[in-house]
Amino acid sequence: MTRKKTRQQQAPLDRLTDALVDDVLATSDAELLNEAQAEDDNGAAVARRAFERACRPAAQRQLQTSKRQVRGRRLAGANIRALDPKTARGWLDEFIASHPETANKLNDAPAAGDQLSDEDVYGMLEMLQKRGARKQKAIDQNSR
Amino acid sequence: MHAKDSGALLLTPLEVKRAVSALPRAHWLRLHKVARALCRNAHFEAEDLLQDAFTRALEGSRRCARTVNIVHFLVGVMRSIASDWRKACKRRLEIIGPASPTGLLQEVVVKVRDERPAADDWIASAQEATCIKRAILDLFADDGVAQRMLEGIFDGMAGEELRSLTELSQTQFASKRRLIRRRIDKAFPQEWKP
Repeated sequence: MTRKKTRQQQAPLDRLTDALVDDVLATSDAELLNEAQAEDDNGAAVARRAFERACRPAAQRQLQTSKRQVRGRRLAGANIRALDPKTARGWLDEFIASHPETANKLNDAPAAGDQLSDEDVYGMLEMLQKRGARKQKAIDQNSR
Repeated sequence: MHAKDSGALLLTPLEVKRAVSALPRAHWLRLHKVARALCRNAHFEAEDLLQDAFTRALEGSRRCARTVNIVHFLVGVMRSIASDWRKACKRRLEIIGPASPTGLLQEVVVKVRDERPAADDWIASAQEATCIKRAILDLFADDGVAQRMLEGIFDGMAGEELRSLTELSQTQFASKRRLIRRRIDKAFPQEWKP
């Protein structure tokens, strides 16, 4: 009942996504394995890799994630304020772990163990986001 | 119920780690396919979503009940994270330069704009959604039943109601839904694009 009500409130593409997820859950193991073989799908390896990364100590994990997120446009496109405080803090830690030289240039960059308020974390992420956007704009202009 | 009692009903992070480590290949495939489906609408990578879900489960910020299938639990965590990320992408900010001459990061004034999209954005995004829906339906130009099923899904139908619409048997319905998923997976390997 609750699910149905939720579906009615969703956008059509979200409803389709839900239906696709339900189908994946309802598909038998054998069929999934057959599909993977037919489509040369390496999804199992990708999922395992994500799990292995999640099992690593936090510092290593953050470094790996940040490297990948340069390709995925996590910081650039996101609305920082809409993140929950824990995720925002994780993103800032990831950035600092992967860009120590930039982090050192920031006023009041957090040293290890520093306790920043949520507001500080959001503010710093937004500034980093803004700097990234400016840098990209400069690159675009120079390339013309 | 005491906190101690409720703790006994939940898997510990170590138990989660053992349970996930022992998953057979089909479940890894399942988790990846779900992540990919959820990311198609959220502009994030499936691997990021998977890693975040695993991390939350391993750190204990999301706890799995002993009675719940671990794969279904992880899918629930991914749905929740993807929903948060989608919301984060939709809302927008207004940043108003440093508020003081010192220009400290913490002193930048940030206003969060109304979360509701502006009229022009709304129209643009509605137009794009219509184009994507059209592109999806066009994938099944040779299959009226699949198109009917998709229209039903877009309209919010599910389960028995959707099956009745297609007039298929339970088995035929499952096969058709699978065909739809596989064709969409192939046509839209990453994001929805018109």
